[in-house]
This record gives sequence, C-alpha cells and structure tokens, in this order.
Amino acid sequence: MSHQLGRVVSEILHQYFGEIVQKVGHDLFIYGTKPIPMIVKTTGLPRKQVVDSLRTLVKFDLVSFEPSFNEVVADYKLNPDNVLLLIRYPRYLLQIKTKFGSEAEILVEELLQQASCTASFLLVTVAAKYKDDKKKNITLVKLRDVFISIATARYIQQAPVADKSEVPSLEPVATIVPDIDIRQLAQAIATDTLADVSDNIYWKVNFDRFHQDFRDDIMVKAITRRIDENAGELMHLLLQNMYLTSAEWAAESNPTPVLDLRDAVDRADRTDCDRNLLQQYMDHYLRVLEENGAGFVVRVGEAGGGQYVVRGRDAATQLLLAALDHTVTERLGSKAARIFRLIRTKKYIEEDDIQKHAMLPNKECKELTYKLLEEHFISIQPMRKAASSGAMAKAVYLYHIKLHDVAQSLREMCYRALHNTLRRAQHTRAAHARLLDKQRRVRTIVHTMRVRGEPQQHIDDVEETLTPPELSTLKDVEARLKQLSAAQLALDKNLFILNWYFMYPH
Amino acid sequence: MGSRGRGRGGGLSFTHEQLQSFGINRGENTATTLAPPPLFPKLEAKPLPLNCDAATDYMVIVKDQFIEYLHESPAYVKPNTRTDGIERYSDKYKQLALDAKRGKVLDCVWENMPAELRPQANRIRITSRKRKLDDANVLSKKLQTLEKKETLDENNATENKDENTVKKENENEDDEELEDEEEQEYEIDEGTDYANNYFDNGEDYDEEDDNLDDGPVY
Repeated sequence: MSHQLGRVVSEILHQYFGEIVQKVGHDLFIYGTKPIPMIVKTTGLPRKQVVDSLRTLVKFDLVSFEPSFNEVVADYKLNPDNVLLLIRYPRYLLQIKTKFGSEAEILVEELLQQASCTASFLLVTVAAKYKDDKKKNITLVKLRDVFISIATARYIQQAPVADKSEVPSLEPVATIVPDIDIRQLAQAIATDTLADVSDNIYWKVNFDRFHQDFRDDIMVKAITRRIDENAGELMHLLLQNMYLTSAEWAAESNPTPVLDLRDAVDRADRTDCDRNLLQQYMDHYLRVLEENGAGFVVRVGEAGGGQYVVRGRDAATQLLLAALDHTVTERLGSKAARIFRLIRTKKYIEEDDIQKHAMLPNKECKELTYKLLEEHFISIQPMRKAASSGAMAKAVYLYHIKLHDVAQSLREMCYRALHNTLRRAQHTRAAHARLLDKQRRVRTIVHTMRVRGEPQQHIDDVEETLTPPELSTLKDVEARLKQLSAAQLALDKNLFILNWYFMYPH
Repeated sequence: MGSRGRGRGGGLSFTHEQLQSFGINRGENTATTLAPPPLFPKLEAKPLPLNCDAATDYMVIVKDQFIEYLHESPAYVKPNTRTDGIERYSDKYKQLALDAKRGKVLDCVWENMPAELRPQANRIRITSRKRKLDDANVLSKKLQTLEKKETLDENNATENKDENTVKKENENEDDEELEDEEEQEYEIDEGTDYANNYFDNGEDYDEEDDNLDDGPVY
C-alpha cells in the first residue's frame, strides 16, 4: 500500500471508469475502510454519484464490503490488486484464445465485461450478438461445448453466493459444471423470453487459473531458452504432473517419480519437439535440467528410478534476479551490473574488495557503487570495530543485497513507470480529444454508408473531411498511444513475476 | 570530549583521509550546484524497444475495445453537466444523448450488493417490526409473572426475617433479572428506531438542520 500504488490505481480507475469513480476509489485507498456517508463527506460528491461509483466498483470486484458496527450499513474497502488486474485483461483473452479458440475468447470477453452473469444469459447474449456474423459461424451448441470445457478447466468459476441480509457476506462455492439445455436456450432466443431460463448460478472469470498458466508459460519458456525445446517439454510435463499431486502455488511440489514422467512422455504428442529424442535421452535431459536448469527442478530421492521436485519459489527468485540484473544494466550500465552481480555472489563485501574484484578503476567503481546504493539496489551494513583501533578505521562497511527490499523497490519502480505511461496516454488523449472524436465520427459514418451500399464517391467525400495534416497528426498520436499501451502490458508482465515472488513468505 | 575541537560540526565532518577513502580528492567537493535538478532529466541510455508482435497488437486492440465498452456502459459514472452559460445549437442533441444514457442503471446481481446500493433502497426499508409488548396477551402474561415474583418475595421476607443477608442477595438477583429483561427490550426498540432514523437517505443533510438548531435569537 504505497504512495506509488495509490497513484497507479487512481490513474487506472480514471482511464477505465472516469473521474468520479476515480475520486471515490482514491478516497477509499487513502482511508482504508469507510461507509457511504463518510465518502460523501470527504469527496464532496452527491450521494447518488457515490452510490453509482460504488456499484461499479463492487460489480467489478474492485471494492469489497463488510457490515460495520451498525450491521445495516456497509464499510467499503478498495482492493488495489484487483484494480491492477484490469491492465491484464487483454492477456487473459490472448491466453484463452490460443488455448481454446475464438469462441472461448468471445465468451470470456463477454464475461469480463459483465463481471458476473448466469450461464444461460452469457450464451444467449453472445449467440444473439454474433447471430448475423456469417464469417465466424457461431452456433449455440458450439458455445455450450466451449463453455463447459473452459468451466471444466476452471478458467471460469461460480461466483460467491450471498446470504439474505442487509449487507450480504459472500461465500465462495465449489464450481459444479452445469448441464445446459440447448433447446430451452434456443427457444428463449426465438421467443425473447430470457427470464424463464435463467437460474441463480452466476459465473465469473477465475484469474488465478490464468495466472497459473502464465507461470507455467514463463517457466517452460525459460527452460527452452536455456536448454532446448525437449527440455522445455519435459518441464511442461513436470508441471502438469505437479497439478495432479500438489497445491497449485506450492513452494515445492510433491516428488514426481521418473516412471510417471516416462509414461507422460510416451503419451505426449506435441509437434514442436522431437519426441523420440526425448524418449531416448530422458535421463540425460533430467540430469541437465537439474544441473543447469536454474534450480527449477531438483532430484530428491532415488525411489522409483529417481524423484523430482518442481520448486516454484526458487523459480520465482531466479526470475526476479534475472529481472533485477536486467533493470540494473538498463538503468546504470553494464559496469554497474557487474558490481551488482559481484555483491550478490559474495553476499557481503567490503568496498575495497568490490574494486579489486570488479576490475574497475577506483573512482568509477565507487561512483557506480554509490549510485547503486542511491537507487536502493544494494544496502550497506556498518560493522563497528573494537574501540582500540584508531580514528581512521572506525568501522567496516559491508555492501550486500537485501533481496526482499530490492524487489519492493523494483515494484515501486514498476508502479511509477506504469503511472507515468497511463498519465502520458491520458494527456495525449486529452490534447487531441477533438481530433480523435472527429475521426471516430467519420469512421462510423463511413461504416454505415458502406452497409447501406452508397457509391464510393460519397464515401470518399466524407473521408476527405479529415485533412492530410490532421491525418498525419492522428497517425502520430495513434502510434504513441499504441506504444504506451504496449509499455503498460510489458510492465504488467514484470509485475506478475514480482507478485509471484511475493506470494511466498520470506 | 571526543571531537578534538576540529570544526563546528562535531562528528559529522570528515577528515581529509576519510574523504579520500570515499574517492573525493582535494578541491573536488566544492562543486555545489544551486539550481534545482531539471524536471525532465535527459535519459542516459535509450530504453530498449518494446517488442511489437501480432500478440501485442491484438492485446492493444482488445484493451481499447474493453475501455470503449466501459465508457459506453453505465459503469462509467458521468459528472453532472456543467454549462458555461452560453446557449448552443448542439446543446439539445447533446442533452438527448446524455439522457438516453443516464436512464440506464448498471446491471448487477443485486443480491450480492449491500442493501444501500440496491435501487430503491429507501422504499424497501420501510418495514415495521412488531413491538413485543403491543400484544395484549403477552402483556398480561408478563404482568402476571411479575406479580407472582413480588408475592414470592414477600413470602420469603415474612418467613426468614433472621437471615437478612441471604434474602437480600436473592432480592438483588431477582432485581437484576428483571432489569436485564427490561434492558433487553429497551435495546431492541432502540435498534429499530436507530435503523429507521439512520436511513433517511441524507440528501437533505444540510438543508434544514442548521435553521432548526439555531432557534430564534432575541
């Protein structure tokens, strides 16, 4: 709950839900939990707008509530982490699209927009929306099948159920994959009576499941880059085995016997790796994976031909270290990165020794060390010597790296950068608001004209209302906005690794 | 005692040797700059280019679509329109568009929301809870039990006049019981009143109160 986090959260709320929701959200961020009258008082907004904002925030699960001492009014509390997830929505969609195809993507997109809705409502709205779209050819049966498969794979889950009180407390429920009657739904679409088929089971997107996927992807990709595709495939199989035997985010998985793994390799049919090679040299691959796989996997026992453990916590730490090395290199140059790595390998090191081992000129080395210290990448630990020694050598200063603290400061940096990009995008959009609006209007007009089938010359006339200088500015603005959006997505990837690291207690 | 009289800073200033050990030579520490640092300092190294593949393009587009959807939906809370006093021809159309959007209420699962966020929260709230003592039968029963207790107490008093201490304790206990019951009822009543009063929706919060409180001034 840092200052930087508050700024990011406020800026995101502004971009997604507008000024008023931002005010309410920021107020909640600053004061912690609050009832409505207090929010009204501090923000100075009319009560109706505060209620509207809270509805939005509660709907998208950005604010939670609990009964206050009075029991009929609620205290509201902002969940900043959930607000940050808004940036990650496109990534969820990409993930589900690559895994389950475009029907799943459409379903999840609709579900993200609705925040939570019933299965029948979801299917009927999506079907109705794409009824006229012949290109995609979306049928209700197909949608139903996809819905059931993503529900089985736990990408969507049942929303918590409320009890019947003034301030309901939401109880999470186990997800039961439903049995959906297609005929009833088809009838509902035909007769436009949706109310009859809707039940009271609400669904929402299970972000945690997506995060597990992201983690697996990162680990597999890391091993693939470090060793080769076959090793990556082996890592993938190890992770799949981990899901069967241990908790999803366990710091260390339960041991997997090699025999199980061999079965999995025999069964696996992936095209992107040479299966025969993997079958033949699996023991070698496992050895390489253990010795050179950055500690993702270790051998823990000999039973059953050897047992292997996937170490999530160590993987997160390794990835964090890689991210830190990268950040130091990009910020302060490769020489500073050398000093940083040196301090890390030596654990505690004196200033003179840094200079000796880093093989840098005295002055430059000191300058870089102090710069690292200034940017909170390294810490200093004074050690008092015995009183007998002279005034010259009062103390020894040992440089070292407090990984947890450095990770915190890296997270702060990410928040700050994210805030800056959001702010800059907001500024650009505001500066060119009129032009962007005009472009949007021209586009809609041209679109409707095309649909109506009007002659090309008229369409050209409308399009020419945007003058060449305007078009060139628009191009610039669009390129910049796109770059900023891409930067936000990249920052979010970094934040994901950091949050993964913080998930395990240190 | 410790600072051998060198300089006013006590232990804060460094000796020449100490400064040298920090890498500062003679005459180097005088370069003090008085100007504030620039607001946008020059980047020392150009940042790496972002990777722009098809996946990123897709995600950017999806993100924009999602934001656009939210802006069109009632989830985007719009401020009340501010006018600058100039009447424009386009005002009418803008107002029409605004009204069309304003009428919509966010589509939520209302059971999962606190009652105060549900629409027409005020109307639902008017439910009169029955007071226990309104019922004549219950009232008469209550009175009877109380009477019985009183007579019992009196009997006790006449029978054991000597054991004053024990009896007093008894009496005290009874009294406490009675008091407890009364208190409970009182609390329940208080509860309903409190809730009812509280849910005056607060819109007319500072409209009339001030005038009432002040009273006439003579």
